[in-house]
Amino acid sequence: MNAKRIDHVGIVVKDLDEALATYGKNFGFSVDASKGGEVAGLGIKNAFMPVGESDLEFIQPLTSEGPVAQFAAERGEGTFMLSRAVEDVEKAVEHLRGLGVRVGNPTNGVAFVSMKSTHGVNLQLIERKNS
Amino acid sequence: MGIGATHIDHIVISSNNSGATAQLFADNLGIEIKRKMIRPGTSAQLAFAKLQEVVLEFAGPPQVDPDAEVKAKLWGLVLAVEDIEAAVASLREQGYTCSDPSKAVQPGAKIATVKGGTSGVPFAVIQYNALPIEEQA
Repeated sequence: MNAKRIDHVGIVVKDLDEALATYGKNFGFSVDASKGGEVAGLGIKNAFMPVGESDLEFIQPLTSEGPVAQFAAERGEGTFMLSRAVEDVEKAVEHLRGLGVRVGNPTNGVAFVSMKSTHGVNLQLIERKNS
Repeated sequence: MGIGATHIDHIVISSNNSGATAQLFADNLGIEIKRKMIRPGTSAQLAFAKLQEVVLEFAGPPQVDPDAEVKAKLWGLVLAVEDIEAAVASLREQGYTCSDPSKAVQPGAKIATVKGGTSGVPFAVIQYNALPIEEQA
């Protein structure tokens, strides 16, 4: 698996609008309106703020279930996930599984590496062509 | 008002065995460890890998229990800024507690930590080429 860029860093927040206002006003970042929104299947809503070639993803849980809600319940707010861009997520998953790494099945261009294979770091692979 | 951030400079992954975590990422994820060092002052063990413009910093304690289960977590972010003095002044105006910029482990760089008001994310800002050339070694 070739080294590619970090696509984004996921940050769990209690109130998405408040976090975006804080980072916008105090850090000078702007929301990328082409990404984000409510993801009913994951029970979250999110928004992205580009910083150089990577984004900060702010994620608010909307339900009490799922990994984001669990993180929020246990730790409150904080750095949740690292997302790494890959050229072809299917090939990346196949490659990692060949090395014995536990990876979930890709869905909509995204796959999650088991935290048992990363010493506990929440790592996502995301397909980004030509990035 | 902004801090003049140009990119995420590095992402810190904290581990009770930073060498083992860095090696795991290298073996399984194709990430090349470019540099290892002991942090002056704290003796923390550090390892660095670069994925285009972002550095992954694996940070751990000086002493490692070889029998302990290795546990790591994403910790904080360091943003590269064009002018660290201006960035710190701007953040302090907004009510943040920032350390004074000081010499970083990265050659020629200055770094300052930012406390509070960051949605639980430990933040720092770094400026490269911030030190006079005679202090960059």
